[in-house]
Amino acid sequence: MTVKSPAPGSDKGSVLIVDDDEDMLKLLRKWLEGAGYKVTAAASGSAALSQCSSVHPDLVVTDLYMDEMDGLSLVTHLHAANPLLPIIMLSGHAQIPDAVKATHLGTSAFLTKPVARDDLIAEVERHIRPQRREGDNVFSRTMIYCSEVMVSLVEQAELVAQGDVTVFISGETGTGKEVLARAIHEASGRREHPFIGVNCGAIPEQLLESELFGHERGAFTGANNKHEGLFLAADGGTLFLDEIGDMPLGLQVKLLRVLQDFEVRPVGSTRSHPVNVRIISATHNNLEELVAEGEFREDLYYRLNVVPLHMPRLAERPDDVPLLLDHFLGLQAKKSGQGRKRFAPDALAYLASASWPGNIRQLVNVVELCTTLNVADIVPLSMAQKALRQEPVQIKTLKDAKAEFERNYLVSVLRITEGHVANAARIAGRNRTEFYKLLNLYELEPAQFRAGSSED
Amino acid sequence: MNDRIAIHVDADLEELIPGFLDNRHKDAARLAALLEAGDFAEIRRIGHSMKGAGGGYGFDAITDIGAAIEEAALCRDAAAIAASAVELSDYLSRVDVIIEP
Repeated sequence: MTVKSPAPGSDKGSVLIVDDDEDMLKLLRKWLEGAGYKVTAAASGSAALSQCSSVHPDLVVTDLYMDEMDGLSLVTHLHAANPLLPIIMLSGHAQIPDAVKATHLGTSAFLTKPVARDDLIAEVERHIRPQRREGDNVFSRTMIYCSEVMVSLVEQAELVAQGDVTVFISGETGTGKEVLARAIHEASGRREHPFIGVNCGAIPEQLLESELFGHERGAFTGANNKHEGLFLAADGGTLFLDEIGDMPLGLQVKLLRVLQDFEVRPVGSTRSHPVNVRIISATHNNLEELVAEGEFREDLYYRLNVVPLHMPRLAERPDDVPLLLDHFLGLQAKKSGQGRKRFAPDALAYLASASWPGNIRQLVNVVELCTTLNVADIVPLSMAQKALRQEPVQIKTLKDAKAEFERNYLVSVLRITEGHVANAARIAGRNRTEFYKLLNLYELEPAQFRAGSSED
Repeated sequence: MNDRIAIHVDADLEELIPGFLDNRHKDAARLAALLEAGDFAEIRRIGHSMKGAGGGYGFDAITDIGAAIEEAALCRDAAAIAASAVELSDYLSRVDVIIEP
């Protein structure tokens, strides 16, 4: 089962109802089942806790006044295990201090008894987020979402994954295009074969050609050994061509030929080799505009854009922000070896409505900043605001961008020459001494590129 | 005093109504015994439950009677509790449930 948004007649999620009054439980069950929810009932707070660990409800409706454990203690216990679990509190007394305390503890809504059916259902509809189930398909294991826009995207991706069709993923930087590409690969029949990703914008044209298609020994100066190329390395699997919009025009025609014939001819070779590779390409550029400007071949565009998928900006999926924050808080807790922190409800609401120009990459940075700077277990609104303001949009400085390019270039040259420094230096147009200095600067060890390691 | 009281109830609650009203008859009977024993805490609990569930089932009067019982139990007002118990029994004896299709 995959993540679904509430829809008439479908599984709308599960609700745990908690009340020590038998008639109230029967009434709530009737109303919620009638509205399409799967309902589990508990007659006490402790029964609710044990039910919760086995049924993993998507939302809890609890009475405030109960013997043994009251609703407020139950909220504290439930949120210790799952801070994002929506809880609706019912109370026979309309007392403001209780409502304030319940809200402070992270209760999603506070309703006064006797509650009207329509009011309760409206609040449940508003707050329920059907959870991803354990053991689900690869998309719900590897991607964090519950928003309708992502549910619909994943439904398309699931269909696409079953076949071999070429996929094109558009979307801004930091939205997770490679995560989606990997999930499609993992969900496909190719999952036992390699998934190889290459950033077409980070490697110069000649090197990229050799990277993709391979080369014969002696194909060019410094090519002392045969190089298999990424198409052949990905044989049987998936080749992910990231930033395809940055691929030089000269290479585009060569790529088009491979996509037409599914044969690659390594640089310097007279023979073509058949390849069985699924192509997923992605870019943050508007390829249609690039085609109109003559920067991208129209025929290649149509060849790649067989099934277009669009990764939405994070601001377009605010419902996913709490889930993503929770996920990265969990990762951060594991990484730091400290207890899991969580955002206060008002901080969560603030972050969910932020504009996130840097998308998920920016969200990860905000989580790191907040958990590093905040000593207490709960990150308050003020800290979230500070982190979002301080966290720069992830555009690299020119110096960093140049350094990244230079390092990628050196890696490519070393890979092609299989760690032969003299040949690599010759290709790069530097003398050996200068070349060694560069290798030291970027902490690259030529030996790593020997022993025939041709894969990415 | 013998005028009938017609209460319209949603069809989806039909099967729950007999059990709900039966429990209120039991409450009316228990209230007298609890008053005798001076168990105001349990009386309050009964009133609280009636108040919470009554209106949801369509019986607003049961919510009102429950609220009065809860209030009276807090003040340990035995006379008011006894009066509410009588009121509850009277209401239950006169109510006619009409199921709305």
